[in-house]
Amino acid sequence: MKSKLLISLVITAGLLFTGCEYDNFEAPGAMLSGKVVYEGKAVGVRSNGPQLELWQDGFPLRSLIPVFINQDGTFSASLFDGKYKLVRKGDSPWLQQATDTIIVNVKGNTYLDVPVTPYFTITDESFQKSGNTVTARFAVNKIVENARVELVRLYLGKSILTDQVQRELRVDGNADNLVFGQQTVIAGEIPDNLKNLDYVFARLGVKSTSSGEYYYTPVQKVALK
Amino acid sequence: MSSCNHDDWFDRDPKQMITDDQLWNNPKLITSLLANYYNRLPTLHGVFNTGGMTEIDDAMWSGHRDQNWRNDFQFGDDYGRYWDYGLIRDLNLSLENIGKLSTQLSDEQKRQFIAELRFIRAFVYFEMVKRMGGVPIVTTQLIYDFSGDPTPLQVPRAKEYEVYDFIFTELEAIKEDLAGNIKSKTRANRYAVLALESRAMLYAASIAKYNSLMGSPVTTPGGEVGIPASMANDYYTKSLTASKEIISGPYKLFNENPDKGANFYDMLNKKTGSEVIFAKDYVTGLKVHRFAYDNIVKSLTEDNESSSTISPSLSFVESFDYLDGSKGVLHDRDAAGNYIAYSRISDIFANKDARLYGTVVYPGTTFKNLPVSIQAGVAVWNDGTYQLTTAAELGKNYTDGQLWTGFDGPKDDAMDVSNTGFYIRKFVSDAPAASTRGTSAANWWPWFRLGEIYLNAAEAAFELGQADARDYINTLRERAGFPANSIQTLTTDIIRNERRVELAFEDHRYFDLKRWRIAHLVWDGSENDPNAVVHGLFAYRVIRPGHPDNGKFIFERVRPSRFRRARFFRLANYYSSIAQDVLNKNPKLVRNPFQ
Repeated sequence: MKSKLLISLVITAGLLFTGCEYDNFEAPGAMLSGKVVYEGKAVGVRSNGPQLELWQDGFPLRSLIPVFINQDGTFSASLFDGKYKLVRKGDSPWLQQATDTIIVNVKGNTYLDVPVTPYFTITDESFQKSGNTVTARFAVNKIVENARVELVRLYLGKSILTDQVQRELRVDGNADNLVFGQQTVIAGEIPDNLKNLDYVFARLGVKSTSSGEYYYTPVQKVALK
Repeated sequence: MSSCNHDDWFDRDPKQMITDDQLWNNPKLITSLLANYYNRLPTLHGVFNTGGMTEIDDAMWSGHRDQNWRNDFQFGDDYGRYWDYGLIRDLNLSLENIGKLSTQLSDEQKRQFIAELRFIRAFVYFEMVKRMGGVPIVTTQLIYDFSGDPTPLQVPRAKEYEVYDFIFTELEAIKEDLAGNIKSKTRANRYAVLALESRAMLYAASIAKYNSLMGSPVTTPGGEVGIPASMANDYYTKSLTASKEIISGPYKLFNENPDKGANFYDMLNKKTGSEVIFAKDYVTGLKVHRFAYDNIVKSLTEDNESSSTISPSLSFVESFDYLDGSKGVLHDRDAAGNYIAYSRISDIFANKDARLYGTVVYPGTTFKNLPVSIQAGVAVWNDGTYQLTTAAELGKNYTDGQLWTGFDGPKDDAMDVSNTGFYIRKFVSDAPAASTRGTSAANWWPWFRLGEIYLNAAEAAFELGQADARDYINTLRERAGFPANSIQTLTTDIIRNERRVELAFEDHRYFDLKRWRIAHLVWDGSENDPNAVVHGLFAYRVIRPGHPDNGKFIFERVRPSRFRRARFFRLANYYSSIAQDVLNKNPKLVRNPFQ
């Protein structure tokens, strides 16, 4: 009787300890991080918007690894060491380069700046508050020759995540009379629900007709008091 | 040794299996196989798909919290993906077998079965092309020859217009062969074929026209996606020709109930009349669905769980015009921004398009002849403003002994009760015990009905610049209670709005906005947009003793807190992405734009 109990205990213990080897996988240890850049400057995007794609050859399961991009253009992905292909997708504020892949060798923590070609960029932006008005001065530059501007917009919001989707105020600039490289002005009246805050966040966006996404400037804090 | 004489004992027909020869020579067996195929006709938000109906701007999800993601999601690249070559193969196999093996069927019978199979195949291809763009056109079984070379099986994508042309030629070829089904509403007949033609050609035409009008048309270099603008007129003409033949056919707009609102509800709830051209039928005890269980008004539920799942949105309710022709925006506040008080709770909806009553249960109406109890709370006048208060429990009375919050809510952030102040009436069966899980509902699903054909005809005629376009719309509006010739000058906006209100919850809106190329503008994902964000309208009873407004009702626009994220349709959603395993298997397939 006693030996039976002992045997069954040994078997159970054996199963418990050996079984673990099969269902435990090592967690990915390497981190690929970086930002999307144009001429060395990070490209701002909508949060939860544009993505990059990673692919890895040589495995039976061929499936994409989506890489989300933060609003300031940075991204990171937790991966295994190895060779990956990075794809710049369409419906982003930059040119689709689906076949022009970037080979990434991930080994430990790897840093990578992904060069992109935005349809348009905004430079020399500045925001001034006077009275109840926030005035933005900036220049729109055309990067892709055959691109057309659809919208230029000023956004005000309560949080750093201010964009086309999350915002308290949106003011359309005059996209038809835009002169590239020249200073443009958009002024917006601060809405009532923001008037009493200490500061608001301001941002500019420009959208080409070729994509649903905007190129955004870095979010700026505008002090109201 | 002697037992070998009885060879026939070994050579008997199997009792558990039907052989191909038996099947294809027995009309009854073929019919039951067809029933399987008819039952597999694809849909996105249709055929009583409660969840799908709450994923656009017409409604939100108020049911169980485990599906609240429907109020908090973004159309993924794969949204609406449909790539069913399993069904296509089954149909191709059937077509080949019936041609080869049916020796005992009459010619007429055989032609009819073949026509039905080809109708179903065309329907499936239409469902694929409207979601994926041009797909591989496969009309025969693909059989691997074990040669080590799979390339003959790798069919490339056809151009988008080639698929529409394929659908058209298929339908034209079979429409004469269906005379035997002329009385049937659940099997394809000549008019079901024409109805599919009318719809498919309209889709092709509007994609041709409106894709080209976009700032940057959605296309692929090989034409798998995008139709040249020059083809639009031809497609509109084909659609109009088909629509006209149906309208002059044996069908009539349903008009059996003098109460226009109830009439619109009866049209789909009753199986009488001749409005419906082709439907998916249900029978109590045999084949049922649970749309009434999902969506019945809370206080009228007959089951112990669920109800109230679909909550129609305020923007949808406001898309119904007033009968005098003015826009349907509800007058909840005056120009100065003060509440307008109404003496009866339903008065704010007075003189609206009767289809509103037929589609939506709003405060002050009835369902199954029982009054609904929709009231959010009371508005107590205090220090120069109204304080809006709601009861913790549905159906409670306020301190003045009168109703506080109705048994049917609405209640914010609540489960199984409306979160917008509205319930759905369309398609919710009023039959006894229809909302129980034991019995369930048996009202049918209309794949095609005459109302849509009028709208198809109006749109095609309008795009072709024909003056009688408005007559189609006016006929339809007369059924909804409008006076004769209520529209003098037709516009695209009127046609589009008319489709939204007439065909709501019938699996049209998502595809309509797509083919007009305005989905990314209407559902722009912006949290401030009245269309992209589902809103509600909460009714409050005024408590202001001594004032003329005391006991009247005021209305407050609300954003339900269960609704978390604005509807966001991106350019990538115009064509669903093709699954990666499909791409891996067939290197000839071109990806969709933005994929």
